[in-house]
Amino acid sequence: MQLIFNALIAGSLAALIAGGLSLVYGTLGVFNMALGQMVLFGGYITWFLHIQMEIPLLMSICGGALFGALLAWFTFEVFVNPFYKRHRFLPLVTTIALSMILDGLILIIFKSSPKGILQGLKNSVEIFGAIISTEQIALIAFTILILCSFAYVLHSTSIGRKIRAVVQHPQAAMSLGIRSPQLHRLIFISSGVLASFGGIFIGIDQNLSPVLGFPITIKAYAAIIAGGRGHFWGAIICAYLIALIEQLVVGIPLLPGGNYIPAGYQHSVALFFIIVFLIFKPTGLFCSRLRTA
Amino acid sequence: MPFFIHILFVISNWIPSMLSHNVIFGKGKIFHFGPMGVAIISSYGIVITLKSTGSFALAFLVGLVCALLISAVFAWLSVKLEPDALGVITLAMHIAILNIAINWTSLTRGALGIPGVPRLSFFSSNTTLSITMAVVAVLWIIFMLYLDRSSFGRQISALAEHEWYAKSIGISKIKINLIAFFIYALGMTIVAFFSMQYLTILHPNDFMFPAFIFYITCELAGKPGSVLGVTLAIVLLTILKEGLRFMPIPTGLTGPLELIIFGVILFVAVWWRRDSVFPNTRSV
Amino acid sequence: MNKLATIALFAIILSSCTGEPAGEEGADSTEPIKIGFIGPLTGDAAAFGSDAINGAKIAVEEINAEGGINGRQISIIAEDARCTGGDAVSAAQKLINIDKVDVIAGGQCSGETLAAAPVAEAAQIVIMSAVSSSPDITNAGDFVFRVYPSDALKGAALANYFDSKGYTKIAMISENTDFCIGVQNVISESTAKSGGEMVFNELVEPGTKDYRSLMTRLKDIDFDVFLVNSQSDSTGGAMVQQMRELGMENEIVGTDTLDSITLGQVMGEAMEGVKVLSVPSLSASDPKGGPFVQKFTEKYGNAQQSTFFAALSYESIRVLIDVMNKVGTDGPAMRDALYGHTGYDSIVGTITFDEFGDVEGIPYALKEFQDGELVEVERIPLN
Repeated sequence: MQLIFNALIAGSLAALIAGGLSLVYGTLGVFNMALGQMVLFGGYITWFLHIQMEIPLLMSICGGALFGALLAWFTFEVFVNPFYKRHRFLPLVTTIALSMILDGLILIIFKSSPKGILQGLKNSVEIFGAIISTEQIALIAFTILILCSFAYVLHSTSIGRKIRAVVQHPQAAMSLGIRSPQLHRLIFISSGVLASFGGIFIGIDQNLSPVLGFPITIKAYAAIIAGGRGHFWGAIICAYLIALIEQLVVGIPLLPGGNYIPAGYQHSVALFFIIVFLIFKPTGLFCSRLRTA
Repeated sequence: MPFFIHILFVISNWIPSMLSHNVIFGKGKIFHFGPMGVAIISSYGIVITLKSTGSFALAFLVGLVCALLISAVFAWLSVKLEPDALGVITLAMHIAILNIAINWTSLTRGALGIPGVPRLSFFSSNTTLSITMAVVAVLWIIFMLYLDRSSFGRQISALAEHEWYAKSIGISKIKINLIAFFIYALGMTIVAFFSMQYLTILHPNDFMFPAFIFYITCELAGKPGSVLGVTLAIVLLTILKEGLRFMPIPTGLTGPLELIIFGVILFVAVWWRRDSVFPNTRSV
Repeated sequence: MNKLATIALFAIILSSCTGEPAGEEGADSTEPIKIGFIGPLTGDAAAFGSDAINGAKIAVEEINAEGGINGRQISIIAEDARCTGGDAVSAAQKLINIDKVDVIAGGQCSGETLAAAPVAEAAQIVIMSAVSSSPDITNAGDFVFRVYPSDALKGAALANYFDSKGYTKIAMISENTDFCIGVQNVISESTAKSGGEMVFNELVEPGTKDYRSLMTRLKDIDFDVFLVNSQSDSTGGAMVQQMRELGMENEIVGTDTLDSITLGQVMGEAMEGVKVLSVPSLSASDPKGGPFVQKFTEKYGNAQQSTFFAALSYESIRVLIDVMNKVGTDGPAMRDALYGHTGYDSIVGTITFDEFGDVEGIPYALKEFQDGELVEVERIPLN
């Protein structure tokens, strides 16, 4: 039971980050390799506002999210927009460059010591025989709230319909008068906001350090590829699934003789997941079939 | 003078592997993002064999066989998957292989690395090692140029430009890809053979993501697919990377600032090349 | 044509960037003495590198304020090796052949030291590492020294402590880095020797922050003490925090990576009662180490990783300077002086070197987190 709770916590974090990214990948087809750094920046800015400047938590979170949006906007205009029209893979390299620049900036501005947004031990409660802290419950609830509001926007508002149209068929959408470039910008910025929330999650639940950047990016892409290109919910579900498998791999004796898989392979689970998936089902678990007619 | 010899080695050491990767990625537009995976496997193969048997020839052979095996897997993947997926999967395999190397402690000593790699007695001084490496590099460049103009070079470009049409005139994708990946395996094993002796230590940290970033930077800056272009890029970028050490940066900022500068350079390189990296295929 | 322009451009940029002109011999007696520093200033180990270079800089400033060595000032040239072997070799090559340094303080990561060692050996330049812990360094070379106590000593100290408390069932989580593997091996051996049992001995990927499932498993196991064998305080802190959150009240002991003031501040009551095995004399109130800690916090704030590592770096520079004062800057002379040193009184203990260049004489102390502060509780004998 505890393992399921652990998976919920880890999965919510991954889902936050992967969710926005899946939309970006679905519409633009670009890889944002600076994602991990954007996540960290969101968390660090919130830490800065809350701990250094002593602004109340909720406002610091809003500040962090706002900064995430701005950073994503900047990234889009400079590192993605001029390039992805020429080929989808160019932004991959430019965002790698951006990730190096951001890494350097994080080291200079925030140094390398760990930073926690909420200090001290958390208050824990016991549910169904498993222990979880109130902060973590709040975080999971918050994640679900955000994802649901995203779902609402996607399915029940006109902007959502436009986004889904662009994901399904960009040219057809444009011929209907939908302004794809602006939607691309909007999608990218929202992925930045979600990424910042992810960073705030890490800052509250664990602590922030500059080296977390790249592994986060890899795990997010694992979820997206497995979930199928452009499928928002596919990515979310796969994020939780990968988290669950990771916890199970470490927590349950899976090897013969009651032995556990060495914990060092925990993160490889995500990688093997991608590899196996791509070999057998390259379009992902929940591929949205493209109707060509 | 010794520093020049060192730079000569570093530059020459990148050439065989990068030029052959350039054939795959630059010419063939195959998104092989896992060159470091091959590097890890051949390096560990060479060093482990060397330390247990002491025979250099055997070590080279073992390293080559290991590299060929993993390259065959990559080649198979490259035929089966579309480019996006291939990019991600090869990257994932690189990291997975690194993970295995670090965790399989009984074979690889894990994170401790394997120090004390012996050198061939001919290579006991850095000078002979560097010059030999440079000669090998030049030979490899000539080999690559020949390949470029040969029918193999034409075939892989044809596959990159328009796969259907190429297949319709009888070019077999799996055969061409296999050849390309095998050439890469050979290049990588040569590189690993020399670099392990130069450093005398095999440490997993040398094979992490930043090494791959350097690959991409050089290939993009030097015009993907062009042998001489990428060679020039390797020379200039290595000089630049080491040259950054000479810049008068206050000690507290040295590391991060160099990282930022290199990121900016990478960005500029892609900006400059944005039209020629992945040219639009002619559809008529 | 484009290529020509590029070459020209790069040549211009590089020629304007070149720092120290090469080829100037240091024979002039007013020329500054150059100390080369190799460490991870970026990358995963940047926290170590940052503390080390800052500790070194304080040492250099102090000596220069006192007039330098025989009237010569000291300058420190730092190179980033990113915790990789290849970069360490480049750094060593540049420092030795271009900057013509007299001695090298570095590397910090064991991989860096092992890679740079052959270069220094060939040039007959002393290389002293402040933080490298790999057992391979013992045999890395004649000119290779280190002030970081070998893991064998750490293992012996911990085994002593466990013995004194009657702990026989040990649980441990280690990060898979060369730094931690050394400790893991030593603890497993000494536990077996003293008749105890490693009831839980897991290896995790470096940088893991999520230990919840491992802790869930640990909850069902009967153990006396939990050993935090982490590479950094952020991961070690996560281990402690998640263990306490699951309600486990057993005693927790950490290695010197947990010796971090930041941890007390960030983790607060989670760290209460956690013991740390480190060297004595590193709190601001202590007569020996106090001045260093105060100076460090004034200039650089809290240590990124641990004041212990900064102090080691500080003392490694001071030992080198002590030797240079006596015998000058000649490599082989310095090497002999270091081997024959009768004892350098440092803030972490009395330093001497054994026949392999490993340090002896640094005692261990057990500290405890009380109210967010680290307080020394007892000294641990090594036998």
